[in-house]
Amino acid sequence: MGFSGGGAEVFARMQIAGQGDLLTSLLQLIWLLFLMLFILYPNFSQRLQLSYILKDLERKLYGLKRIREEVRSRTIETLRRYSEGNMDLERELDQILLSFAITPESMDPYGIVYKLEHIVNTWEDTFEESVKRLCPRADRERMKTLTNLVEVARGIDYLYRVVRHYYLLGKKTSNIYIVLQIQMLMPQLMEIAEAYRQACYAFMQGQPVGDGVGVLAAAKLVEGLEKRTYEVAKDTIVHELVMDGRRLFVLRAAGPGGAVGKPADGIIKIIENEGERVKAIVMIDAALKLEGEDTGKVVEGIGAAIGGIGVDKFKIEEIAKKYNIPLYAFVIYESIGEAITPMRESIAKAAEEVVERVKNIIRSKVEEGASVIIAGIGNTVGIGLS
Amino acid sequence: MFPSSRERQILNPLTFLKCLSCSTINSRPFKEGDYVFGEVEEKCPKCGGDRMKIVGIYVKEPEQREKRQKQTF
Repeated sequence: MGFSGGGAEVFARMQIAGQGDLLTSLLQLIWLLFLMLFILYPNFSQRLQLSYILKDLERKLYGLKRIREEVRSRTIETLRRYSEGNMDLERELDQILLSFAITPESMDPYGIVYKLEHIVNTWEDTFEESVKRLCPRADRERMKTLTNLVEVARGIDYLYRVVRHYYLLGKKTSNIYIVLQIQMLMPQLMEIAEAYRQACYAFMQGQPVGDGVGVLAAAKLVEGLEKRTYEVAKDTIVHELVMDGRRLFVLRAAGPGGAVGKPADGIIKIIENEGERVKAIVMIDAALKLEGEDTGKVVEGIGAAIGGIGVDKFKIEEIAKKYNIPLYAFVIYESIGEAITPMRESIAKAAEEVVERVKNIIRSKVEEGASVIIAGIGNTVGIGLS
Repeated sequence: MFPSSRERQILNPLTFLKCLSCSTINSRPFKEGDYVFGEVEEKCPKCGGDRMKIVGIYVKEPEQREKRQKQTF
């Protein structure tokens, strides 16, 4: 259908619609307006992109909020089982979730490790005391696991608040670069959030988690053998035994409650007692794998295999250097999610492989009559004494 | 109406128990209070012994996933 009126003439003169029909003319007009919008309003495309990103972030933030609420309600439900009836648990828990520790000033870094250690120790003690106050009916082991559970709730709460902060800040300032950065991180953050959710169920029931593989390997090493067991540092025990003519000090956190202990303090104490007789320190820990690597793969290396804020690592390296003791490390690969969620079969099986490899390294690197320290690092939740 | 994917994904580990009489290893779903190396009073389905030791608590992994991983890079 062609135009016969003045409108068609106008279009024809303007070389816009040519000899086309009404629909073509309209489409071309819309296209022209759209083009003008981009020319007259250069930020339009960015605005459009910003609104898409904000919508996407909003959806993910709701997901994060749901996980946070789920973890919070499960935590309250579990704490209630061990608390006195007249306590306002929700208010008390919120206070713990918002508590913080201030890291020491690093302008002059001399002695910062010991300052950091002091702050972290105070923080841990205060945290434990707070949970103890909420759950007076829980025994010692249960208390440790409940503390871990509250730490999980605190972790997901903090994650949610940080993401919400960037979302709202980006929205308020219409700054695409702020929201773009948080959007790029969201897949990993959602994975961590999901791991927190799973971890909440594991700590609620006291199930062993992937991070406990170092402790599990240490426990399996001494299982069924004659040994002397005693506490060497806070929440840290040592099994003393003789194997193949060598004196073994197998150190780990005390279980089955969730604890990581103070491995560095334990190692220092043993070395100070044994002195030059200690010929090697073997450390076993879980380590983050790269994408594509198999979970439960056992890898051998050199150095202090221990995570955390670095205080224990520093102290172990310091004492090892002072006495010139070599540090051998075995790590078991796993993802961040697998480290805090119930232990997978491949990780549990890796503990048995580590035991054999530790025995081999002791036989090959330590002569008979000498002493060796084996430290199983990790969270002991669900792992008792062997 | 349908359970969400998150609800389906809760990992439920198995507890592996070794009979202290006949050394047979059995498994059952994890129960609160179980811990590795702990001893429990449960009947062995093979010999009827009533003392068992927990030798492992972990989530069983499907073998198919393992094979698929090996086929990739």
